[in-house]
Amino acid sequence: MRRETQHVLLLLLGGALIKITLNGDYLRYVRPAHGWWVLGAGVVIVALAGVGVLRDLRSAPADVTGHAGHAGHSPWLLMLPVLAIFLVAPPALGADAVVRSVDANVVAQRAPEFAPLPDEPAPRLELSDVVARANWDRAGQLDGREVTLTGFVVRRGASVQLVRLAIVCCAADARAVRLRLDGPLDVPADTWLEVRGTVRTGSATAATDHVPAMTVHTAHVVAPPPDPYEY
Amino acid sequence: MTAVVSRIRITSLQVFCAVLVAAVLLQGLITSALDAPAARTASTVFVAVCVQALPFLVLGVLLSALITAFVSPRVLRRVLPRSSAAAVPVAGLAGVVLPGCECAAVPVARRLIGQGVAPAAALTFLLAAPAINPVVLVSTAVAFPGEPGMVGARFFGSLATAVGMGWLWTRLGRAEWIAERARRRVDNADRQRWAVFAETARHDLVEAGGFLVLGALFVAVLGVLLPASWTDALAGQLVVAVLVMALLAVVLALCSEADAFVAASLTTLPLLPRLVFLVVGPAVDVKLIALQAGTFGRAFAARFAPATFVVAVLCGTAAGLLVLGGAR
Repeated sequence: MRRETQHVLLLLLGGALIKITLNGDYLRYVRPAHGWWVLGAGVVIVALAGVGVLRDLRSAPADVTGHAGHAGHSPWLLMLPVLAIFLVAPPALGADAVVRSVDANVVAQRAPEFAPLPDEPAPRLELSDVVARANWDRAGQLDGREVTLTGFVVRRGASVQLVRLAIVCCAADARAVRLRLDGPLDVPADTWLEVRGTVRTGSATAATDHVPAMTVHTAHVVAPPPDPYEY
Repeated sequence: MTAVVSRIRITSLQVFCAVLVAAVLLQGLITSALDAPAARTASTVFVAVCVQALPFLVLGVLLSALITAFVSPRVLRRVLPRSSAAAVPVAGLAGVVLPGCECAAVPVARRLIGQGVAPAAALTFLLAAPAINPVVLVSTAVAFPGEPGMVGARFFGSLATAVGMGWLWTRLGRAEWIAERARRRVDNADRQRWAVFAETARHDLVEAGGFLVLGALFVAVLGVLLPASWTDALAGQLVVAVLVMALLAVVLALCSEADAFVAASLTTLPLLPRLVFLVVGPAVDVKLIALQAGTFGRAFAARFAPATFVVAVLCGTAAGLLVLGGAR
């Protein structure tokens, strides 16, 4: 691959990274804390390409490093993420990724003390927080409390689950956090819902694969949040 | 090759533009082809791995360019012990200072070799850096709150893998297995240091970036093809579980800061196979094999990757038996 082509490719690659951090799409792929890293990498890549262009314009490429100007064919592969980001912009992981994983909640045994729930009607909680409390909270703070949860719908046979994906670094390590919804819900998979209801006491046990059940009071369709994962 | 051989010779820039135009024109076709749920999941994972790993690769090429441009071989020779057998453990412990995933360590190791560090020591650094840095150890401690032994076992297992591979290379390794381009010295004695810096960083990024993308493709496709429930069948069989978890670490190619959480989630398995998963993952995985083949040559990767796999499985198992006190 010629040097000019490499410069153009690097400009596009850096530009793609800068674009997804500025328009917020990076949240579909990595955790928010990585945003600065991705932006920084994009700026450095664009700068390296810019320096290369300037040096080549000023003089015939003097090969200071002893590299031949032509790398092999491997750099062509860099077109794939560029095209994927600019043309396809893959969406955040959803029901398909959940159905592929094992149908169980993975809950690390935690200390039985949990922070007190916010003192308001139907507090808005994270799904992973509710699942952890339903499994381990000995004080039973959730018992009979109405809570508000946001997640997307996954259908497993007859049962309907409200799910969020939790990630550590990037979407490749996503892990599903599930809650079974009891109530007549006729919505297709991947619909984002805001649900108010109460978690049934004692519904999250090893027998139910640690998946708690919720009695739904109200549910309405919402737009997918810009920040689709929990962390 | 810049000389024009014939007037109608097609350059890579023209091919590049043609591909770009074709992709834009066929955008509708491409997006609808990727609309199947499995393809959508795979393409998201592909972009996620690229976006997650590229900043680390950029950090790595900047460091490798700094070494190439500003560190003279004389300084490196003074810092490291003269005999390469003694330099290996020093290089292993030096891995503690580079917090990042394995993508950052590959270009750095390559430039260390270029500046005259013994290959055995540079390869030890390559294996140690992603596995035993503080970020990885802390995330392991967070993922296994009830098992403080996991952190120590992971540290010793990974360090033993890195140092063991270094010593193995001192005895059996041959310099000519490493591609000539990776061994070439870059002269940084003249005034053009910043030019050397910029050009080395740019060159390493273009070269390694392509292979990183190849690795990300493998991760995305294998992630969709592997059924998730296959680890369930392993619960009662320790030896099989150890081997399968080692292979799983190779194909999943998780970043070393996240793999502890995945290992912690496989609660049906005993601790030992999960520890082997953590020791093997940062040392050898599909993304890393692709990067190594691109940086050091295929002849190198074909020998180094299988050897590392065997050594990592053995060291991980030994560390588990000694530190965790049995299979558990």
